[in-house]
Amino acid sequence: MEHIGEVIESSTKGYVAQSPKVGQSPSFGTFVKTDSTPVVYGLVYEIITQSSEPGRKPAAYDMSIDELKREQPQIFELLKTEFHVLTIAHAQSKEIKFTLSPLPPPIHSFVLECTDKEKKELSEQDFFLRTIMSSSNVPLDDLIISSLSNASKIRKNNDEYIVRMGKSLSRYFKDDYERLSSILRRIL
Amino acid sequence: MKIVGRANLNWKARFFYAFRVVFLLYFVTKLKRVIFSLAVLNFHLVKSQIDTMLGERKHFVDEFGVKIKLAQSELHNKSQDWEELSKKAQESKTSWLLAGISSALDIRSPLPERPPNYTAISSDGSQIFPDRHEVLPCYLINISSVVLHYGDNSGATISSDPYLFYNDEDRFTVWDGKKIPANSNVISHKRTLMEFERLLYLIKDNSDRENVISISDGTLILWNLEGTPADFKKSILEPFLDIMEEFRNKRIPLAGYISCPGSTDVVNTLRLGLCPEKVSYCNQCPYTELPELPCAPIEGLTDRNLFSTLLKQGEMSAVFRSSSKILESYGDHHIYFFYLNIGQEIARVEIPKWVAENADMLKLVHTLVYDQAKKGKGYPVAISESHEKAVVRGKDRNFFFDLVKESMVKADFNVSISRKGISKRVPGV
Repeated sequence: MEHIGEVIESSTKGYVAQSPKVGQSPSFGTFVKTDSTPVVYGLVYEIITQSSEPGRKPAAYDMSIDELKREQPQIFELLKTEFHVLTIAHAQSKEIKFTLSPLPPPIHSFVLECTDKEKKELSEQDFFLRTIMSSSNVPLDDLIISSLSNASKIRKNNDEYIVRMGKSLSRYFKDDYERLSSILRRIL
Repeated sequence: MKIVGRANLNWKARFFYAFRVVFLLYFVTKLKRVIFSLAVLNFHLVKSQIDTMLGERKHFVDEFGVKIKLAQSELHNKSQDWEELSKKAQESKTSWLLAGISSALDIRSPLPERPPNYTAISSDGSQIFPDRHEVLPCYLINISSVVLHYGDNSGATISSDPYLFYNDEDRFTVWDGKKIPANSNVISHKRTLMEFERLLYLIKDNSDRENVISISDGTLILWNLEGTPADFKKSILEPFLDIMEEFRNKRIPLAGYISCPGSTDVVNTLRLGLCPEKVSYCNQCPYTELPELPCAPIEGLTDRNLFSTLLKQGEMSAVFRSSSKILESYGDHHIYFFYLNIGQEIARVEIPKWVAENADMLKLVHTLVYDQAKKGKGYPVAISESHEKAVVRGKDRNFFFDLVKESMVKADFNVSISRKGISKRVPGV
C-alpha cells in the first residue's frame, strides 16, 4: 500500500506527518496507521499547508491554480502539507488495543490509510469517541462527526451502528442535550 | 463615572503628570545613550560621517537633472553619426571602460511575444571558507540547481548539493608557479566554475525541452581574474570557456543578470563624445588646466540612470560590446550587454557574442529574462530560488564546524582549536 505521509514529529498522544505531495493529505477524520512496530492507529484532526521554509511566507498571485501551475511552478516545491494525528489505539501483534502506544512511532515512519477491516475494528466499540472527548486542542464535535460518518460509510450506513454510537454519545454528553443534538443532526 | 480632562486636573495631579513626562523623556535619552555605548561600533562617530556623506550627495542630486538632460541629448545626437563615435572609441585610450557600439545608441526594442512553453535554468553557489583557527583546514561549497518548466508539462526541480574539500589537491592551488593554500579569492573562482558546470549538467539533462534559457546571477565577465598569474587564470578561464562552447554547440542562450547595475560603459562612451579631441588619450589630456574637463558634465551618471529615462517597460536598449580587458581571452565568447526595463528597475543583461549576433536567440533572451523578472516581482525567479537554495548563513557555518568537531571527537581524534579561535568564542573581560 502506498504511504500517505511520513512522521516528522512524534509524541505519545499523537504525531505529525508530512504528505509526499503538497495538498495531498488524508481527509479530516480519516483512520490512519503507521508502518512501525507497534503500529499506532489514529485519526487525522488537523491539516496544514504552509511554506516549507520558516522565513518565507506565501503571498497572493491573483492567478487560478491552473495558471499558477503553468506560470509559477516553483511555488509548489516551496510548500508543504502536514497533518496531525490523534492516537486512538495501537497493535503490538495483530490484536488492536484501545490504549496509547507504549512508545510513540519513530520519526520518518510511513503513515498509511487503514484498511476497511481495520477501520471497522477501530470503530466497532465507542473507545475512539471516548479518546476524542478526552482530548484537548482538537476540534471535538467535528472530529466526532467526521470519524463517525467514515465509520458508518464502511458499514453502508447501518442504522443499528449509528443508534449504538448515538447512545454512547448521549452517555458522554449526559445533560448537554443541545450539543448532543447538534452532533447527531449533523451525522444523520 | 466622571471623566476628567488634563485641563481640569488639580495642581497635584498636574505636577505628577509633568513629573511623569519629564521622567519618561529622561529615561528615553538615557536608554539611547546606553544602547550607543554598548555597541562595539561607535555610532556617534558613524552618524556624523553619514551626515557629511548626505551633504555631499545632495550637491550631486541638485546637479543630477542637468546632467541627465545633457546625457539624453548626447545619446540622441551621437546616434545620428554613431559610426564616427564607434571609430573614435576604438582608437582612443581612456582611463574608463567604453561600450563598443555597433548600432545607434538610442535604439529601443519592444518586448517580443513570449513562447508559451519554456524552461529556465539557474544555479548559484555559496561557501564556508577554510579557517585555520578551526579544527581542520577544510572548506565547503554548496551548489544549487533550479529548473523551472513553464506552460504545458510545467514543473519545478529545486535542489542543492554540498561538496566538502579537504584533500591537498583542493586545499592548495598553483599560483604563479608556487603551491599556495586556497584562499577566499581562489575558492570563489572555483565556486563560480562549479556553478557553470552545474548549469551545463542541467542543460544536458533538459535537452529535449524547447526554448531553454540559462540565467545566472551577476556578470559573465570574470574581471577579477585580471591581475592573477597566468597559470591560475588559465585553470579557471579554460574550463569556463569550454562550458560556454558547449552552450553554443547546444544552441542554448546564456545570460548574466545584474540588478541595479552601477556600470557606466555607455555614459563613458558619451563622455568620449564630449571630448573635443579627434582621438582621445586620457593620459595626455590637454584640458587639465581648465576649471572643468570637457568630459566632466555627465560624470557621475550611471547607464541605469540614463536608460531609465529612455526605455519603457519591457523594452531593451541597443546591444553594446564590453571592453573589459579580461575579454581579450574570451575569443568567440566575448561578452556583450544590453539594458532592460523590467518595470521595477533597469537591469543589465550580459550575453556571449554568439547570442548577441543571433536575432532569434536575442529575442528569446529579451522576452524570457523579462518574464522571469516579472514572475519574481522585479527579480528573475530562477535566480532568486537558486540563491535561496544555495545560501549558507552564519549559523550554518558555526554548525558545520561544530559537526566536524563532534565527528572528530566521536572518532577519537585529537581536537584542538587555536587560542584565537577560543578567544573569539569566549571573549574575556
